[in-house]
Amino acid sequence: MAHHGVKHDYHIINPSPWPLMGSASAVVWALGMVVGMRGLFGIAKGEWWLMLTGLALIILTMVFWWRDVIKESKAGDHTPVVQIGLRYGMIMFIASEVMFFVSFFWIFFEMALFHGQRSGAMCGIQEVCEAWSKWPPEGVETLDAWHLPLVNTLLLLTSGTTVTWAHHALQQGDRKGAIQGLLLTVILGALFTLVQGFEYMEVLHEHNFHFFLFPDAAGATGAANLYGSAFFMATGFHGFHVLIGTIFLIVCLLRAINGDFTPKKHFGFEAAAWYWHFVDVVWLFLFAFIYVIFGRSH
Amino acid sequence: MSSTATSHDHADADHDHKPGFLDRWVFTTNHKDIGTLYLLFAIFAGIVGGAFSGLIRWELFEPGLQVFAKGSMLDSMGIFDLSNPDHAKHAYNSIVTAHAVIMIFFMVMPAMIGGFGNWFVPIMIGSPDMAFPRLNNISFWMLIASWILLCTSIFTPSGPGGEHGFAGGWTMYPPMSSHIGSPGPAMDLVILSFHLAGASSILGAINFITTIFNMRAPGMTLHRMPLFAWSVLVTAFLLLLSLPVLAGAITMLLTDRNFGTAFFDPTGGGDPIMFQHLFWFFGHPEVYILILPGFGIISHIVSTFSKKPVFGYLAMAYAMVAIGFVGFIVWAHHMYTVGLSFDLRAYFVLATMVIAVPTGVKVFSWIATMWGGSIEFKTPMLWAIGFIFLFTVGGVTGVVLSNAAVDYSLQDTYYVVAHFHYVLSLGAVFSIFAGFYYWFEKMYGVKYNEFLGNLHFWIMFVGVNLIFFPQHFLGLQGMPRRYVDYPTGFTYWNQMSSIGYAITIVGVIVFLVMFVEALIVRRKGVANPWGEGATTLEWTLSSPPPYHQFSELPVIKDEDEHH
Amino acid sequence: MGTTGLFGRGLFKAATGAVSTLILSAAMSASAFAEDTKEILGQPTDKAMGWQLPGSALKVKTENFYDFGLFPLITFICLLVLVLLAWIVIRYNKKANPVPAKFSHNTLIEIVWTVVPVLILVVVAIYSLSLLRDYNDMPKPDVVVKATGNQWFWTYDYPELGVTDIESRLREDAKDLKTAKAAGIPYLLEVDNVLVVPVNRVVHVQTTAADVIHSFTVPAFGFKIDAVPGRLNNTWFKADKVGTYYGQCSELCGKDHAYMPIEIKVVSDAEFDAFIIKQGGKTRAMLASEATASAAAAEEAAASAAVTASAEASASAAAPAADAATPATASASAAPAVTPASAAVAP
Ligand code: HEA
Ligand code: HEA
Ligand code: CUA
Ligand SMILES: [Cu+2]
Repeated sequence: MAHHGVKHDYHIINPSPWPLMGSASAVVWALGMVVGMRGLFGIAKGEWWLMLTGLALIILTMVFWWRDVIKESKAGDHTPVVQIGLRYGMIMFIASEVMFFVSFFWIFFEMALFHGQRSGAMCGIQEVCEAWSKWPPEGVETLDAWHLPLVNTLLLLTSGTTVTWAHHALQQGDRKGAIQGLLLTVILGALFTLVQGFEYMEVLHEHNFHFFLFPDAAGATGAANLYGSAFFMATGFHGFHVLIGTIFLIVCLLRAINGDFTPKKHFGFEAAAWYWHFVDVVWLFLFAFIYVIFGRSH
Repeated sequence: MSSTATSHDHADADHDHKPGFLDRWVFTTNHKDIGTLYLLFAIFAGIVGGAFSGLIRWELFEPGLQVFAKGSMLDSMGIFDLSNPDHAKHAYNSIVTAHAVIMIFFMVMPAMIGGFGNWFVPIMIGSPDMAFPRLNNISFWMLIASWILLCTSIFTPSGPGGEHGFAGGWTMYPPMSSHIGSPGPAMDLVILSFHLAGASSILGAINFITTIFNMRAPGMTLHRMPLFAWSVLVTAFLLLLSLPVLAGAITMLLTDRNFGTAFFDPTGGGDPIMFQHLFWFFGHPEVYILILPGFGIISHIVSTFSKKPVFGYLAMAYAMVAIGFVGFIVWAHHMYTVGLSFDLRAYFVLATMVIAVPTGVKVFSWIATMWGGSIEFKTPMLWAIGFIFLFTVGGVTGVVLSNAAVDYSLQDTYYVVAHFHYVLSLGAVFSIFAGFYYWFEKMYGVKYNEFLGNLHFWIMFVGVNLIFFPQHFLGLQGMPRRYVDYPTGFTYWNQMSSIGYAITIVGVIVFLVMFVEALIVRRKGVANPWGEGATTLEWTLSSPPPYHQFSELPVIKDEDEHH
Repeated sequence: MGTTGLFGRGLFKAATGAVSTLILSAAMSASAFAEDTKEILGQPTDKAMGWQLPGSALKVKTENFYDFGLFPLITFICLLVLVLLAWIVIRYNKKANPVPAKFSHNTLIEIVWTVVPVLILVVVAIYSLSLLRDYNDMPKPDVVVKATGNQWFWTYDYPELGVTDIESRLREDAKDLKTAKAAGIPYLLEVDNVLVVPVNRVVHVQTTAADVIHSFTVPAFGFKIDAVPGRLNNTWFKADKVGTYYGQCSELCGKDHAYMPIEIKVVSDAEFDAFIIKQGGKTRAMLASEATASAAAAEEAAASAAVTASAEASASAAAPAADAATPATASASAAPAVTPASAAVAP
């Protein structure tokens, strides 16, 4: 919507309360996290209501914020040049996410590749070094890649194709096809989360990973080890991203049903698809390295 | 170009419309107002961080415990609990930590990137605003959120004896930062504070990259783009790619502390050194994040006051790209003493030295820009020349430290403290003051008092050199850093250093006086106070610029020399 | 001398005159603490502008690298930049040069200021890496000491010599300026139990930590090695002269980081052996002779077993013989190095 006298296509946004609300919610959430984990301000450890309040406020902020974005998009503020900007933004966001995963992979590779050196001449704790001088380390049972992880790989790969199907359908103006493709993708994503849930239960019950999400009854943290930590951190954060991606896709599904997308203009969907592919690729790395290559003994 | 200076209205805004207070300063989506918020916050944080360094210097004035002790003046103020000597010694380390974090994350970064970056990157590339104005606002408020958490942490139990405030240094090495060294909740607050500051900076980085790639005015190719915009572009990439790694590292620290993981716990096969790798993979790019925008500012000032174009413009731009790139592959020069293999140490020696070459290109190109010029030594130019010399001093001691064999004797001594304050407190801060004076009239439409500006420079110049030059001697003599007290053999130069602080703080006061004086007297500013040498687009606008500039985009031709 | 000026002349003298300044002042401070006969060779000197007096050949090399290589180089670069700036201020100010030149390129000069620093750095790097090699290639040890960092004291072991758990803490009277002065000991440096090593012998230092990271360093010997929980790090030094050398923990380790100094007493071989025996350990000579004795005993036993030629007798004798032989060979090979120490600093 070109304003009187403005001779460019950029989108000058009106003042908005959501950033302040988002930041305030973040403070509440963060303080709530510390209260829950440690106890603070006289509130006992293990009380999570403050954190949940913060989280709810953050989610609420996101809803308000993105509702505004959708409104603006419908009002025609997302001119071609603004859309290119949104694309850059999404690409850069994904790049930063990649670097986030780099930190977890870094730890994993350091462990998987250099456990020999670290338990060699520079070893400071004899028992630990003996346990860690081989792969997999003593007490660690790795998982069979060709079991649930394979199922999950296939699920995600398939979901990659269904999301592309939805994209093509959108471009062709085939709303029904787009909805079907998206619905399938969402279902596949949910299945992935389900399967991973099963896998986690199995790991926690049967495999000797020595990793407990919460301190045991006595209040002492259970004997933790690096393998379990790295495994749960990498796959767990990935799982978290799958969840976010699924929600993102659900929003797109609703918008598709709502008729928000046109064959020419559907960046919201594309962003979700990019994100989904990113999640997919991270999984392939996890599958290849954590399950296949370093899942076996060496 | 001046035709573009007229503002055109937008949305509900007519010509001179300024929104109400809340809309303007809290819910704002205007890059200039957000920039001003950042700058004011940076000045505030600089005063707090500077006060903390005052406590440090005061304590270190002589051997023995004077400030962080029962019955001291600080104790009588009742802010910190110093009656217990253990708490008092802890408080010193906690203040050092807070000093570093405040100066780096809440003063230099907000001033350079949030402040000047927000103000001038859009204008310099001929754009009406940032790409994502609302995101821009949350970057600022997330910083405040982060600040609140950090301040809370200072007054929250941390140490094994319930001492307050995280005291493990800004590098946060575990196990000092794990439940062994800091069992209290303060560290968790610090971690989450870093998460929020990181998120703020990552969002800012995305915003700058998108703005610069997508919103340059017609004809403003990357190779015609002003160097300050280049410097912010490179900085934004460093932020984008290094901060998430820190976020990952501190997330693992958080789960080690609270959820039973063992990333950095040797009894479970983990290794504290892994944290150091991740930290410095972020930390080294971070130090270039702190200086690159300064490089950009200095280039403009030097060119403006010499009335000459920047010498070797392209080499200047690509030198920054090179510094940014190499900055990612030198991190372990902070870790020569942790027990790395010979090959690794040798590699990091060589890689680190490489950075001196593009940095040298910058230093010499600044000199060549001035060479043959017709120079006016206005206040910004004084700061710029001061910067060039003092940054060189700090840079070359960095090259000394890059020699692993020499670093064995200097690592964690005051030689390192001297090195990084020369590049930070005498480098980054000088460039901030340079930029502040350079753009003051542009931003606020009033002139600063030239005499006060000069006075500020000279007092600070003498003061900070007196603080930090003697610290080289202390370092060579072996004085370790992060020491609340020291053997008598280190007394003399510590005294000099503390005297230097007293001088410096007078300079900072002169700065504040200058600021207030200018705002009270309100000498009306002009569009371009610097004359023919000032060629970038901000000088084509009124001072202060219209609320929304460039409603009609400027068209850049090569002859315009807008860089 | 050379300690008064802050810049300029004083700075220059810091490079060339540092060594002599330090010899003088160290001698002075040594006489000040002459209360017991201990000669303090490694400690900070007030007003000094350079290195501490070197205590080992390797530190001499390091100091020379700095004093005659790096320091003149960086001084030259700073002065070059300063002189150029000064010239600009004089020659190219508005009055002296009213009309600015317009040039903005000069390929030749740009190549020069890229290539020349590269060449300088190549030279620096070559020397730097060879010095790094000297630190890294550890000669066979005469003594191995293990320093464990604790919050907030050090414990020392001589793993081969059977001496363990010497706890070394800052002395009470060194914690206060007045009492330290009265006792004639250096404030914040004097410890109760010092680390004793023989002069002119290669000492391997292994470090590890019990709680958080600490760092073991003695400036006069130019080594610094972090004591990291879960790791065993290695470095070495060889002290030139008999005397006392101080260092201080150099990695932030909590509230008493400033209060866990390191004191190394370098003594003659004989004094060292006496110290080890007093601590309940065995000297290298004792271990060696024990080794030969037990080897001989083993031989004897084997011989007598052969003489009796009875199956059971031979079996019963062979067992102790094997037992005795193991420590003998072990200590023979351990004499040059305990196993972990033999590897150079590991990756
Ligand atoms: C703005 C911040 C900044 C900048 C720009 C730099 C720049 C450099 N730094 Fe610095 N550094 C820090 C901030 C910074 N540093 C901080 C904060 C720490 C401590 C962290 C902590 O432990 O808390 C640190 C610590 C630090 C260490 C670790 C010391 C230790 O803990 O033992 C090392 C070691 O290699 C190092 C090296 C360098 C080098 C080689 C450069 C180079 O980039 C410098 C290049 C510049 C020049 C060389 C001058 C100009 C060049 C010429 C005029 C050309 C001719 C020159 C030659 C031929 C030499 N730095
Ligand atoms: C940008 C970073 C920065 C800055 C500016 C400073 C400034 C100063 N620092 Fe700091 N310092 C650090 C970063 C910085 N420092 C870091 C990273 C550490 C290591 C911490 C650790 O060990 O973990 C450290 C540690 C450190 C120590 C070592 C403590 C120890 O190891 O025990 C000492 C001791 O003297 C010290 C002193 C000072 C002094 C006297 C100043 C003076 O220069 C202060 C004077 C005040 C100013 C120069 C600020 C003025 C600025 C403004 C008012 C804002 C202006 C803004 C606009 C115009 C927008 N600092
Ligand atoms: Cu131990 Cu510092
Ligand atoms: Cu660095």
